[in-house]
Amino acid sequence: MSEDAILTLTNVESAYGPIRAIRGVSLRVRPGEIATVLGSNGAGKSTILKTISGILDPRKGTVVFHGEDITAQDPAHIVQRGLSHVPEGREVFPLLSVRDNLMMGAYTRRDRDEVARDLELVFGYFPILKERNHQDAGLLSGGQQQMLAISRAIMAAPQLILLDEPSLGLSPLLTHEIFQIVVRINRERGTTLLLVEQNANMALNVADYGYVLENGRIVMEDTCERLREKEDIREFYLGMKEVGARGERRWKKKKTWR
Amino acid sequence: MSNLWDLRHLQPRHDIVVPGDTVHEMFWNAVQARGEKTFMREKVLGIWRAWSWNRTADAVREMTMGLVALGFESGECASILSNTVVDWVLSDLAIMSGGGVSNGIYPTDAASQVLYLCEDSATRVLFVEDEEQLDKALEVRARLPLLRKIVVFDMEGLSHFADPMVLSLSRLQALGRAYDAEHPGEFERRRTSRGPDDLAILIYTSGTTGRPKGAMHSHRGLVYVTRGYNTLIAQVEGDERMCFLPLCHVAERLGGEFFAIYTGAILNFVENPDTVPENVREIAPTAFTAVPRVWEKFYSAVTIAVAEAGRAQQLLYRWALGVGQRVADRVLAEQPVPAALKLEFTLARWLALNNVRKLIGIHRARLLVTGAAPISPDLVRWYLALGVPMLEVWGQTESGGASTGMLASRIKPGSIGPACAFNEVKVDGATSELLIRGPNVFMGYLNQPEKTAETIDAEGWLHTGDVGAVDEDGYFRITDRMRDIIITAGGKNITPSEIENELKFSPYITDAVVIGDKRAYLTVLIMIDQENVEKYAQDNDVPFSNYASLTRARQVLDLIQGEVDRTNKKFARVEQIKSFRLIETQLTAEDEELTPTMKLKRSLVQKKYAPLIESMYR
Repeated sequence: MSEDAILTLTNVESAYGPIRAIRGVSLRVRPGEIATVLGSNGAGKSTILKTISGILDPRKGTVVFHGEDITAQDPAHIVQRGLSHVPEGREVFPLLSVRDNLMMGAYTRRDRDEVARDLELVFGYFPILKERNHQDAGLLSGGQQQMLAISRAIMAAPQLILLDEPSLGLSPLLTHEIFQIVVRINRERGTTLLLVEQNANMALNVADYGYVLENGRIVMEDTCERLREKEDIREFYLGMKEVGARGERRWKKKKTWR
Repeated sequence: MSNLWDLRHLQPRHDIVVPGDTVHEMFWNAVQARGEKTFMREKVLGIWRAWSWNRTADAVREMTMGLVALGFESGECASILSNTVVDWVLSDLAIMSGGGVSNGIYPTDAASQVLYLCEDSATRVLFVEDEEQLDKALEVRARLPLLRKIVVFDMEGLSHFADPMVLSLSRLQALGRAYDAEHPGEFERRRTSRGPDDLAILIYTSGTTGRPKGAMHSHRGLVYVTRGYNTLIAQVEGDERMCFLPLCHVAERLGGEFFAIYTGAILNFVENPDTVPENVREIAPTAFTAVPRVWEKFYSAVTIAVAEAGRAQQLLYRWALGVGQRVADRVLAEQPVPAALKLEFTLARWLALNNVRKLIGIHRARLLVTGAAPISPDLVRWYLALGVPMLEVWGQTESGGASTGMLASRIKPGSIGPACAFNEVKVDGATSELLIRGPNVFMGYLNQPEKTAETIDAEGWLHTGDVGAVDEDGYFRITDRMRDIIITAGGKNITPSEIENELKFSPYITDAVVIGDKRAYLTVLIMIDQENVEKYAQDNDVPFSNYASLTRARQVLDLIQGEVDRTNKKFARVEQIKSFRLIETQLTAEDEELTPTMKLKRSLVQKKYAPLIESMYR
């Protein structure tokens, strides 16, 4: 099942104390694609990413990355294996300069030439970071911090980036811009991406394959092209609904996930 | 709390508890007799609130006069499109009190079905539950020239909506109050405008084949059968009942609403179809009628809970259930239960069985009644082992619900009991079809005299379509629906429901349809129990994402194969299931494959899944 996947989750269950956040999630990410997990608040999206990157140890199930079982491994080891996590809320080091933040991303790497090349690469993606090179990261705007967090992840030279709600708190224009660059990173660097988003419209437009998560369980998976046409996705995630005979409708249809 | 060896509290009652020759007169007389006592209970903002008989009467009178104010004439039809809620009962009583004909429409029906039912019944006023149901009515009203008004129970989300045809229930009541004040004596005139022989209600049969047919019941028939229920096992004033099955269905309409009006049992309405288990635990009904699907659900919840429990608890449960079974075996064999065994059972109840009863919410239940679909005898035995008498009844829409019923004095699982005292039941000599005759048999199908003639023969026997047999004690057994009987290519007659019931006894199988008519061997289409199979997959590290992938997982198929194998052991060689397929779509009540009581519609399923079925014969 997993021969062509770069990342495979099998029956992963994670909990915060007595509260089970994800209840048996199985998903696969193929190399070179952008995969997305859609879901509402509290569906367990971020928990999936935390479980993959080793921040949270699952109660059950396995995470296999590049054929290696990385379940509940030390996050530092996982980063070295080529998997970077851009956390929700960006989490830049506010008192370090932009440059130092980026170098923190490259902390585990030895080849200085390559690090220097990657630094130029991210400055190419986000010229504003070059301008603010020496400024404290805490002084950047939200959008710039998001750019920095993504760049910091790239500095670890990952094959797979976990991207947790890059649109959080950003203006539509900035969101659009960041997503464009996310696609560029994927196309140009060949980096595989697993994107978690509440902004379903955006995510379904940039991603190739999508999973829908509800209450800690996957209820639907398909190519994004097909997901966009599903009735439940259109109604519950894209906000398109038939208004009916009255021209307005408050009641919700039952989700059937077909 | 009951013990199986002493069921003296389940007695018939033959006198008339509340007089009245029409359903609504029965209600008005009950109001006189019971006044401030509680009739119904519903949960409002999380708190159970009571409806006394007086309060109910006030609301019904206002609504009746409201209908009159809207120009609703005696003999006209009004329909109710709603889930099972208090307002449903109020509307039903108001329609009948106004001299009208009351018809229920399933809230899961699509707009097109609402159109057909309103058209066929010539509905003049349509009661709808809320915004969601209103939208269906609005979608089709242009094609319903007879429809005058739509009354909405719950106006949430509609405060800005204005339409000359639509009014709220409270508006209807206000209209009625004003009209009543201006027209003294009109209410009494309307109330008595219809006699016992007039048409009272329509119950559309869910119709596994063809269009739904509107079964017509007169007041006389309904009152007769409602009184008749008490001659089977009496319900008493203050008995607590759950009201949760669709009120459009004969089981809840007669066995729930009308029977409660007659006997004074309290109707407790569930919040919505999803909260049934919680609400049952809160109320702990003393008399509980449900369909096999509900009993299966409770059973599998307990089975799963036991599987999750510790080793000691599992052993305790098994021992306690074993004791219960020994008690049940003796009671069923009509042997006395020895004192030592009684003592052992008391201990078993105290240590385990009482908790199981509490987990379900049947710890106060005097009796459980099952009907409306065949049930596995093993499931009945399980409830008996808990010490709760479960009695099966059999009947149909056309006979006003129960026509045979198990006697508490002599329980035979697998049988549907002898004929109720109020009607005749016999097995047709030639076809083995069960026939019913009595005043409870319906008046016929609305607008379909030819169908009526096919159903009631010249001697007044109702042809039920069920095939069965009767034993020397007069106890009937159903083998199957007549048209469902399978004749294999080898010429063997097979009754699929027995096999299906055995399969459904598994906590992992919700419903099954056995196939094999004119085929070389039997196969089965299975609908899995999502919750329990998901749990199984989770516990056994079976990867799955959505429902379809769950039904395709190797281990799940193996699990179901195990259940099929277990079933096969109980049947003869010609009755062996050779192959099965799982239905990959998660079906809901809105889907055409399911009846409103969540049973698979055999003929429709066979047509719809024809390629899947064919794949088992290749």
